[in-house]
Amino acid sequence: MAISGGGFQRKSKASDQIPSSSLADIAFLLLIFFMVTTVFRKETERNIEWPDAAATQQIDEKRQNIMYIWVEQSGQVFINDRPVDMTDVSSLVAPAWAESNRRLRISLRADARVPYRFIDAVQQEIKDAGAIYVVFATDLERQMQRVRR
Amino acid sequence: MAILNKKQKVSDEIPSASMADIAFLLLIFFLVTTVFPKDRGLPIVLPDAQDDVEVSQRNILHIDIMPNGTVQLRRGDSQNTSTVSPRDIEGIWRIEVAQNPNLIAAVKTHPEAQHRYMIQVLDGLQMAGAERIALQMLEG
Repeated sequence: MAISGGGFQRKSKASDQIPSSSLADIAFLLLIFFMVTTVFRKETERNIEWPDAAATQQIDEKRQNIMYIWVEQSGQVFINDRPVDMTDVSSLVAPAWAESNRRLRISLRADARVPYRFIDAVQQEIKDAGAIYVVFATDLERQMQRVRR
Repeated sequence: MAILNKKQKVSDEIPSASMADIAFLLLIFFLVTTVFPKDRGLPIVLPDAQDDVEVSQRNILHIDIMPNGTVQLRRGDSQNTSTVSPRDIEGIWRIEVAQNPNLIAAVKTHPEAQHRYMIQVLDGLQMAGAERIALQMLEG
């Protein structure tokens, strides 16, 4: 006996549905990616008034090569959440500069109202440590961060 | 009798159909809480501690920032000073640098002047495309 219909009635075995069993795998893959790339803020922000600048631009450097130096209105300097004497700043910057292979960027986050003599003193300390790349953090940066949260 | 023969309908397996929902919930949590670091500001390169460069006075534009936020301008080779607002620096620099492409901006800030005034001047200079900027403290 020949096959009736010459095989035309054979049913296709390919499913017409998107396989949903691998959906969890895709989700977990994405989940693991975001878990690995997430960086939680290490430092708490100090309460400062940010200066404004229209020419504000992005620091083109990896986060690990950026060091934050906070200067409060009183002139008190903070590095890594700890108050630091002005004379000790260079001893903290120098190892970071050496470790970063001369790529370290100093983000100087100073209060807009702080007298300039403190800023000058910090700059001298940075210079003494050998670091040369300084970025004066300005308000546009802060607005961008706010939008992203 | 009839009650005892009834089969238990509760499955003894953990339902895997909702696994994707749990994963997506976690995924959305991390999506929302992730902050990619974006740091912004006005970049400047400090000079090396050792090198002192001799610059002709003709190529220097002295920009002195006073404690009240006004700016005193003086060309290196003249004694005339003019008092301007930090807002005018951008336009002034464009005019000056067109006349002398080798011009250097020597920004001297009074020790008691607020940081924001220096930022305003630096902002103006950078908006005008100035690259040679020296930051100093005003003495005397």
